Amino acid sequence: MSKKSKNKHLIRLAVQIFFLALIILISVNHFRSEQGLAPLLIGNPSLHAVCPFGGVVTIYSYFTEGTFIPKIHQSSITLMWLVIGLTLLFGPVFCGWICPFGTVQEFVGKIGRKIFKKEYNNFIPSVIDKPLRYLRYVILLLVVVNTAISGKLLFSNFDPYFALFNIWSSEVTRLSLLVLGLTLIGSLFVERPWCKYLCPFGALLGIFNLFRIVKLKRNEKTCINCKKCDQACPMNIDISTSKTITDHQCISCLLCTDEMACPVSNTLSFSLLESKSPTENSKNDSGVKVRESISGGGK
Amino acid sequence: MKIKSIHILLAIIIVIGGGILLASELDLYNTTRVKTPRKTAEGIADVIDMRGSHSLEEIEKYYKLPASSVIEAFGLRPDTDPNFFQLKDMKEIFTPVELEEGEYIVETDTVKVFTSLYLKIPYVSDETFYLPEKTVNYLIENDKLTGEEKEYWQGHAFKLEYLDSKYLTASEFSKIVVEEAGGFKVTGRTTIQELLDYGVTEEKFEEVTGFKIPDKKLVSFRDFVIDKGLEFGEVKDKFIE
Repeated sequence: MSKKSKNKHLIRLAVQIFFLALIILISVNHFRSEQGLAPLLIGNPSLHAVCPFGGVVTIYSYFTEGTFIPKIHQSSITLMWLVIGLTLLFGPVFCGWICPFGTVQEFVGKIGRKIFKKEYNNFIPSVIDKPLRYLRYVILLLVVVNTAISGKLLFSNFDPYFALFNIWSSEVTRLSLLVLGLTLIGSLFVERPWCKYLCPFGALLGIFNLFRIVKLKRNEKTCINCKKCDQACPMNIDISTSKTITDHQCISCLLCTDEMACPVSNTLSFSLLESKSPTENSKNDSGVKVRESISGGGK
Repeated sequence: MKIKSIHILLAIIIVIGGGILLASELDLYNTTRVKTPRKTAEGIADVIDMRGSHSLEEIEKYYKLPASSVIEAFGLRPDTDPNFFQLKDMKEIFTPVELEEGEYIVETDTVKVFTSLYLKIPYVSDETFYLPEKTVNYLIENDKLTGEEKEYWQGHAFKLEYLDSKYLTASEFSKIVVEEAGGFKVTGRTTIQELLDYGVTEEKFEEVTGFKIPDKKLVSFRDFVIDKGLEFGEVKDKFIE
């Protein structure tokens, strides 16, 4: 990895660590408040209050009765709209950059990558993997409908995110601890297993990939078909065969783009307008990068 | 225009960070529950806004429902601190009941029904509710049910049982005999302050309960223990040891 590319990785990593640290601090503060101690640096909202998915699960009672289900607050609804706004622009940036549980899975996955090397994230046969990717929509439907019927926050009973960051609490169920354990173990073999197969919020945000304003595009004319984008994608999307990536699993992490993995400039990028033509590319500095890549001097 | 990592970073700061700041200014970013229930068209607090984290004192304040009524109607200990006891604590006290529709737990929703009947204010829900016999009898004794309601609730009542057999009912409370240890008695009425006065150190308290001594030391030790999800009987025994 070149120094420049590494710096780009650091931007995302810094954002991920910031939000992970923020959630840990909120969790610690909540614990301290229960012990009668003053919160550190920031207040002590509950984890539910800072989770945008809380806005989704309470959506029915919010629109029909103007109320929130127990444990959910106004902040969840506000965060939900902000995240949806961001997703409408860039796709599920929340999943790839902000979600602390995604970050934890990614960090655990780095261990798995070290152990299994190229085999990592390629254990599940495509025939099983592909249909499983739609399971999260079933979960989304079940969670929203059952919450609307019961008026209770049922999802927290098996939510591994809540279990991880609230592990000291008696509110955490055995089932959620089991799901958490399986997810973390699974992360050693598969990148982001919760995100891929089970996360209902990721399912909702993934739909926005079909019509996000800033699109991830591959320039077929300049693509050298090296498949580095496919290898870099944590969600195993076949990027190298698409012109515009609208896969519902994309998490807008930018790992595949020509800013990170793709060795050819202006070939795979998030853009508002069409990619430049090959003629235009040759006029820019991109040619140097292509030659480096072909001769093994690239990423 | 090509979008890079730095643009995403800026977008996160502007959309999420800026959005939260703006929402806070507009009072649309409350991370804590709004304690005050909304008023109905009739100008009374809406029962639907009753929450598990409401204390009995808050219920009295907002709904004008005396805490003593809830304590008596649900067979809570008469020394229950209305300021400290939250509605969700009921789950820690009463045994879930097996009814035809499945397991039924005495909790916030049960108090909502009681409040609705006691104050004669509407509470609409799709669920089928049941009330403890003790609560139904309390409502009848206080002339809060019409003939039709009386018949209905007598058919939707169950026997209330305590999770902890040592939990004392109101009538039995005056006869409490508690275990003695080192010259002092740890009773259901013993406050945390009394424990400290008897010589229990902060370290010992933390060792036994796993929690620091709270600021409010006048609450009963028993309520504190239950609130933390511990078994009073077990914790009390550890003090004796």
